[in-house]
Amino acid sequence: MLRVRFHGRGGHGVKTASRILGSAAFCTGLQVQDSPVYGAERRGAAIAAFTRIDKQVIQERGLVLDPDLILVADETLFTDPGAALLAGVEFASVVFINSARDRVLLATEYGIPCPVVTLDLSTLTTDVVGRGASFSATLGTAACALAGITDRSVVSQAVQKELESLHLTPELIAKNVNAASQVLDHLSAVSIRERPQGHTASPIHPPIHLLGPEGTPVIYAPGNSARRHTGSWRVFRPEIDLNACTRCGICFAECPDAAIHLNEKAFPVVDYDNCKGCLICETECPVHCISEQKEVRT
Amino acid sequence: MKVKREFFRNLKELPTEELLAPGSPMCAGCGGLITLRLVLKVLGPNVVVVNAAGCLTMLAAYPYSPLRASWLYTTMGSAPAGAQGVRDALDVLIARGRLPASEDLRVVVLAGDGSTLDIGLSSMSGAIHRGLDFHYICYDNEAFGNTGFQGSSSSPFGSRTATSPAGTTQHKKDLFALWLAHRPPYAATVSAADPVDLAEKVRRSMQFRGPKLFVGLATCPPGWGIDPAQGHHVGKLALDTGIWPLKEAVHGEVRHTYVPDHLKPVEDYLQTQARFHHLFSPQRHDDILATIQNEVIGYWNEVRHREFPQTLLGELSRADLR
Repeated sequence: MLRVRFHGRGGHGVKTASRILGSAAFCTGLQVQDSPVYGAERRGAAIAAFTRIDKQVIQERGLVLDPDLILVADETLFTDPGAALLAGVEFASVVFINSARDRVLLATEYGIPCPVVTLDLSTLTTDVVGRGASFSATLGTAACALAGITDRSVVSQAVQKELESLHLTPELIAKNVNAASQVLDHLSAVSIRERPQGHTASPIHPPIHLLGPEGTPVIYAPGNSARRHTGSWRVFRPEIDLNACTRCGICFAECPDAAIHLNEKAFPVVDYDNCKGCLICETECPVHCISEQKEVRT
Repeated sequence: MKVKREFFRNLKELPTEELLAPGSPMCAGCGGLITLRLVLKVLGPNVVVVNAAGCLTMLAAYPYSPLRASWLYTTMGSAPAGAQGVRDALDVLIARGRLPASEDLRVVVLAGDGSTLDIGLSSMSGAIHRGLDFHYICYDNEAFGNTGFQGSSSSPFGSRTATSPAGTTQHKKDLFALWLAHRPPYAATVSAADPVDLAEKVRRSMQFRGPKLFVGLATCPPGWGIDPAQGHHVGKLALDTGIWPLKEAVHGEVRHTYVPDHLKPVEDYLQTQARFHHLFSPQRHDDILATIQNEVIGYWNEVRHREFPQTLLGELSRADLR
């Protein structure tokens, strides 16, 4: 069995990527299973999705904790311990990272013990599909390529079918199919390590029931979410030109996240640790003194 | 035309204190979050939020909370019942001298439209009927946003949801009218696109004892299919097209707090959102668009008759849209 785990943020399209891999494998006559982690998924929040592929009927269920392939749509997630990108990496043959950076450097920086494969899906997707497009087609195709499903018609059909079910326009689907095809030009199948005889997924742990304060999560630190630093969600950062600012207060009033505060002279100050980059402030600034800058992280 | 305000006249008068910290797990550009942030600013720090399951229950994801106030999480169907329990407990503790009256809290229910109009409808109706002294804040994103944007009974006619891929055939329930039928001391519709109107209404409501009910249109970037940066703009279009009227009712007497001089065509609003794209492409559905437009014109003609009988505001027609 091939077990694949996708990591990304809400809006990156990792759930659809897992479905595209599943559909493509299904079209080649294999048994497949795909599922996302259901729960707190949000645009920008860490999300995982799973695909299992086998020649036999798949009896295994649940999260993939022993992946053969790990695909990462956003490398900033490595710094979020809650995302657990490297859980079970000892089983993995390859970790794929959407990044323009050097793969050896990435492996060292994030302590990845197995080979790393990279491709800059962000630039490719933005160039071919457009700004703000999700990575579902390109990431799903990357998974297909690494898993050895490289037949262009099969992959195109899987992309087409999954994006149609999301009601995308035919033009947008065509762009995604084009982008997917370009991914196939860059990636090829990797060899998957054999599992030891008798390997099974980790056993299911029965839940432990605790009563009262022990069984109920309680938070005693009010307003501590500022320590989560949701600024890593941001793709574009708002920059305020204070020389042109009229201190009207609109950006302050309309920031959903309270990530803009007013200083003692009533000028707005952006909290870049937490600004998610929605850019409502840029749209609403009446004197257009807020501009967007592409976020660059090293 | 805007009404005269008593407490907040402009943005600069809004409280600068933040009672909602950044770093919540809400989507970038969340319309429900900005609504809550503005409401809490006015209500102040001494509140306890009773949160029905929905998008905003993810506010406090262990071990983090953006709220400086106390917070309690209930099932989707029972937030008003939870609020009753909290209110009663506070009252009992104060009456027995185990809690100083100065430590009393305002009880605030926070619920989405799915909880309010579908799953928690009877619990909400019961609490209002019992005259519970609380604030009810419904953030209306017009679907079950948290679970993947399935249709709710608040989804507007013709809109695409996960459960109505070709557009809803039902019409949105009128929550405000439903509330008025319960005769609460105060009920209002608000929008984060008009923060001063919102703040004014919350402040006005604080002088009443009993149920104080608010519904705010919560723009939803992923569910509605809008760029997060456009949230506020789309919210304003909802006001200027007359789709989302701003009004309040004090002891049942309704008045509109913003009456657009000229309504914009509803298409200006609908076209900004992917959930209405099927009404325009691949072919236009003039019948559905006309139904939506006529409903809005009919609504505002009724408002003009009822609230401004002496003025020169004549009958609106499609020719008046601009």
